[in-house]
Amino acid sequence: MNRPPTIALFPEASFGAALNCVGIAQELRRLGATPVFICHPGFTGVFAEYGFKEFHLPAQAQSTSQAIEDYWQSFINTQLPHFDLDPMDQLPTYVAPTWEAIVDTVEAAEPGLTDILNRIQPDLILLDNVIMFPAIANAGCPWVRIVSCAETELPDPNVPPYLSGLPPEQTGARGAFEKAYLRHTRASHARYNAFRKSRGLPPLPRGLFLEPSETLNLILAPSAVRYDRAEPLPADRFVFLEGCVRAETRFDPPPMPVEDGPLIYMSFGSLGAIDTGLIKRMIDVFATLPARFLINVGGFLEAYDQVPDNVYLGSWFPQPSVVPQAALFIHHGGNNSYCEALYHGVPSLVMPYCWDGHDNAQRAEATRTGRWMHRADWTPEDLRATILSLLDDDAMAAHLAGISRQMKAHPGTTRAAEACLAALRAPAVSRDRDPPATR
Amino acid sequence: MAQTRRNARQNHLLLAQQILSVALERGMAAGDHLPEQSLSDACGVSRTPIRSALKILEENEFIRWREEEGYFLAIAQADQITAAIRRLEDLDESLASRILSDRAERRIGDVQSVSALVRRYGTTRNSVLNALKILSRDGIVAQLPGRSWAFQPLLDSPNAIEESLAMRLTIEPQAILAPGFSLDNQRAGILRQQMEEMLRTGHGRIVAAGFHRVDTEFHGFIAECSGNRFLRGTLLAHHRLRRATQKDRSVPDFRLRQSLEEHLEILDSLERSQFDLAADQMVLHLRRSRIRRPEAANRGIPPLMRTTRV
Repeated sequence: MNRPPTIALFPEASFGAALNCVGIAQELRRLGATPVFICHPGFTGVFAEYGFKEFHLPAQAQSTSQAIEDYWQSFINTQLPHFDLDPMDQLPTYVAPTWEAIVDTVEAAEPGLTDILNRIQPDLILLDNVIMFPAIANAGCPWVRIVSCAETELPDPNVPPYLSGLPPEQTGARGAFEKAYLRHTRASHARYNAFRKSRGLPPLPRGLFLEPSETLNLILAPSAVRYDRAEPLPADRFVFLEGCVRAETRFDPPPMPVEDGPLIYMSFGSLGAIDTGLIKRMIDVFATLPARFLINVGGFLEAYDQVPDNVYLGSWFPQPSVVPQAALFIHHGGNNSYCEALYHGVPSLVMPYCWDGHDNAQRAEATRTGRWMHRADWTPEDLRATILSLLDDDAMAAHLAGISRQMKAHPGTTRAAEACLAALRAPAVSRDRDPPATR
Repeated sequence: MAQTRRNARQNHLLLAQQILSVALERGMAAGDHLPEQSLSDACGVSRTPIRSALKILEENEFIRWREEEGYFLAIAQADQITAAIRRLEDLDESLASRILSDRAERRIGDVQSVSALVRRYGTTRNSVLNALKILSRDGIVAQLPGRSWAFQPLLDSPNAIEESLAMRLTIEPQAILAPGFSLDNQRAGILRQQMEEMLRTGHGRIVAAGFHRVDTEFHGFIAECSGNRFLRGTLLAHHRLRRATQKDRSVPDFRLRQSLEEHLEILDSLERSQFDLAADQMVLHLRRSRIRRPEAANRGIPPLMRTTRV
């Protein structure tokens, strides 16, 4: 009996990955599949609001609201200064403890994830994360890896090291960064490999926490910013996506007392919103500019007052509907944000905090799709001049318009969904259950 | 008429509009005298509020003051007077709405002096006072001892919206279950039509502001039908506050449609007098609306969000 294939999407607990997966799931649904979401505690309802069934990983016993708030307060106090450091100095201060936390998450999620997968009995699993969960590898169905971080996540001699923010030509600095990265991730990596072994999975080489899928790998890296790899990835298993933009609700810009000037959208992601001091400094500069600003301040709206007449603060914006209306997008270099800016031909001012934000900042500068600016080390004159120069850069605007046309001609969501369904049709992935119907 | 008189006493702006209506009804011409006592009799208020209302009309050049003679009409044609009435409505409602919008968008603080508002909006003291009175009618501002005005809590942040939904979850089902619930079938039909029309809108084309208007109208309607006067009053005041100040422009299309369909199902049950079912459906509807996005999230780090206490 033919039935629609059930496809379980499991994005990591970050909005970039979560909403990237929503875009793919919308297309899978349109093509007749049944996409469902496995979600981390705290993401309850995010996917249901887009009409998808959710399966929730159980919250940890100690994850009371107060405990999580205390954790975040401590996180903010500890990490804010680290976000000002360069990528090399972030290795011991931010990257190493984050990998430890990621491994903790994998270990904690394993029993709940196994249980959920047994209940769903998916035909295919889409994993959008930076680490493998053994329950997925052992689920008895094929799985697809989604690389929604920067392309640097997949190593190559011509591609700068992951999280380094280095340009490809800086070969000297490259070696030093790679050594330091391996040194600082050694402990978490050893612990992770031990966990893999306990779950029957082979160890991974140093520095790697996630293997490529034997079935399909989807990489969110538009051709305009892609690297020329020394060792090309096999086209039958590695599919590059030209953006992965979900369909969102319509957005009408709210009226502001100042009615004139180009619209500038700023979002540093939900993590970046914690630095309310920095955003207030930026707002002071924005008040002096002949433009209107929409700013995503996440859950920290109540930290602001005396908002200037040309600024509007929101705790959430339907970003894919906002970006096309903007003349400039100021963001943290999250790959989802950067690719949405490219997709709509909007220049980026990248002010990275951490992780692959550095890689995308470097890439935006190198490919003339935006500018890279330190997130906090600037004077009001610097910020003002940079914004004005980006607004006036006709050559960049024309370049981006071409990129946008190319990306929109090959929407990544459709490409990803079609590749997933084609992978299901391949003989190697057949299962004992009733075969799913695909078209 | 009695209602009009009550409003007139509360609000000089409405009184000013009423004076112009009197002039219109009496077929007055430009240059005709506007005696305070006659207007006082016509409007059913004392001469003190009449003087305040006449000042508003003078500021807007609809009437003129002559020393030791009093006020005289400066406009004559009926259409001019009608246009003046409309302009007064727009003027003050627009100022009230600008003040409210600036507070909801955190441009001005929660305690304001009249003089600070006069400076910010470049208008007269009377216009500001009238705007504040419009806002105070809806419980949005309250006058403090002295000359300051304080804004009441608004639905201007995720935390405030969460608290609003928690309160509504307690009260709205009870408003349906209270003895004496009486559905106004004609209004129910109009609301149903509006919501069905909205559901026919193409995917992704529902305007957030339009949805918000229909949503507050629907919930306000349920409150009005309640048989419990206190639940009715509390909910109506809260829905007015929601309508005026709630900012949430980001609900995905799927949830907007689901929400409209839940409204229609509640109406179905109410029309069949299945009040228990309608109350349960209201609980479901509000619980679904209450789901909140995490405030912060990143890889390896637990998302920060308030606990759902239901």
